[in-house]
Amino acid sequence: MFSSSIYRILNFAWQSFWRNIWLSLLAITIIVLTFISINFLVVINFMTNAAILVLQDKIDISIIFKPEVSENQVLEAQNYLSALTQVNEIKYISQKDALEEFKKNNASDPIILESLAELDTNPLGAALRISAKNINDYQTIIEIINNSKYNNLIANKNFDDHKAYVAKTKNISDYIKKIALVTTGLFIIIAFLIVFNTIGVAIYTHRQEIGIMKLVGATNWFIRGPFIIEAIFYGLIACVLAVLTVYPLIKFIQPYLNKFYLSSDFSIIKYFNQNFWQIFGLELIIIIVLNTLGSIIAIRRYLKV
Amino acid sequence: MIILKNVSKIYPPNIFALRNVNLHIKPKEFVSLVGRSGTGKTTIVKILTAEEPPSKGQIIVGGWDITKIKSNEIPILRRQIGVVFQDFKLLPKKTVFENVAFALEVCATEQKKIKEIVPQVLKIVGLTGKEDRYPIQISGGEQQRVAIARALVHRPKILLADEPTGNLDSINTREIVDLLLKINEFGTTVLLVSHNREVINAINKRVITIDNGTIVADQKIGKYLL
Repeated sequence: MFSSSIYRILNFAWQSFWRNIWLSLLAITIIVLTFISINFLVVINFMTNAAILVLQDKIDISIIFKPEVSENQVLEAQNYLSALTQVNEIKYISQKDALEEFKKNNASDPIILESLAELDTNPLGAALRISAKNINDYQTIIEIINNSKYNNLIANKNFDDHKAYVAKTKNISDYIKKIALVTTGLFIIIAFLIVFNTIGVAIYTHRQEIGIMKLVGATNWFIRGPFIIEAIFYGLIACVLAVLTVYPLIKFIQPYLNKFYLSSDFSIIKYFNQNFWQIFGLELIIIIVLNTLGSIIAIRRYLKV
Repeated sequence: MIILKNVSKIYPPNIFALRNVNLHIKPKEFVSLVGRSGTGKTTIVKILTAEEPPSKGQIIVGGWDITKIKSNEIPILRRQIGVVFQDFKLLPKKTVFENVAFALEVCATEQKKIKEIVPQVLKIVGLTGKEDRYPIQISGGEQQRVAIARALVHRPKILLADEPTGNLDSINTREIVDLLLKINEFGTTVLLVSHNREVINAINKRVITIDNGTIVADQKIGKYLL
């Protein structure tokens, strides 16, 4: 008895889907666009997170010691800082390495090189290049250094400007996310209204059957069932079409991402593959819930008799 | 079988469709409910099928007090009461067989049973051989027979016929009334709502006359009075 009910509900839903095929296609198209815009949001999120990771990787603090500070003192400072929980890595640059690096960086400037050659001693101090575990830890590390006994030994501290880049990137990404969120919201509202109206028209064309169903003792759930199933059909078909559209798109943008990040570590295809069910499953659930809600509201007034 | 106690139906702002109606119809009775248009006959049918709730009073159908029936109980009630209307209410895109079967399909009856029951009911209403025809391909009288067959598939104890002959010529009218009498002979309580004087006078069964929402006459073997 239950299985024949399910079979009939599915059958009625399928008939209604085909009888109003153009409306069904319109509803599906809008839902596909909604899916694509949500996935655009996912792509933007992925890209900005990757950009922030790349930039974060480039941030460090350079502590340049006074030239007269001995290697032992620098190494002692390095040991002290290594013990901090906020510190990820410390690279020691000796006075000799610092001079080599300086020469390399100024190889095209003969005046600087000549001036260096005239000096008897190395004017550059050793340096420590510190990278933190988290971008927000840099400020804490600087404060700890300032309050330590090693502060007097330090000639200069460079907290790289990369922090400003990260902040800027975050701002831009937040801005893009807001736009994408509004677009997605709009598409969701449009999809909801279209599905609501499509189901409304389907119900209107079936009003005679609904009246007879009520007359002969069909339950409200049996009457609602086909329209809810029809709305679920829309969601499922749109989801499959969205997957078929989104994958070629991300495949298309992947080489550009590799170029942009100068790395192939950030694979958006891999990201989508790994999170396939979280992304499309969740989107499908949201769409199905909205569609079901739309069809329940649309049919409500026909069930009153 | 059907009891109405002090039933009133008031539509806003203050229009009385029924006024303190008291009625008792016994099982297997054939009752004609007569009266002019707009006197409350159809309101009684609507109240009995829970399409409209009464404003006042108590309604009992087959021992079941449906005065304050819950919405999820209405389908159960409607499977116990067959209803036939003047405009047949058939689905034009379904065949005779499918129209009758539809009433069983929507109530989750198994296909095997549907194939068993529908031909039996079509035989009772005299439509054997016309199963594959569409409503447009049969006469008005035959369309009403299909509607009666559909009302009978649940084997209801009560059949409400609301102006079933209103759209039919005299020959078809006679045939439909004979069919209703035959169904009554099988043990189904029949409530025939009509304003057709000739039909009522030919039946020679109980007649209840209603006027302005009030029962004005109840004759055991009655005639059309108004």
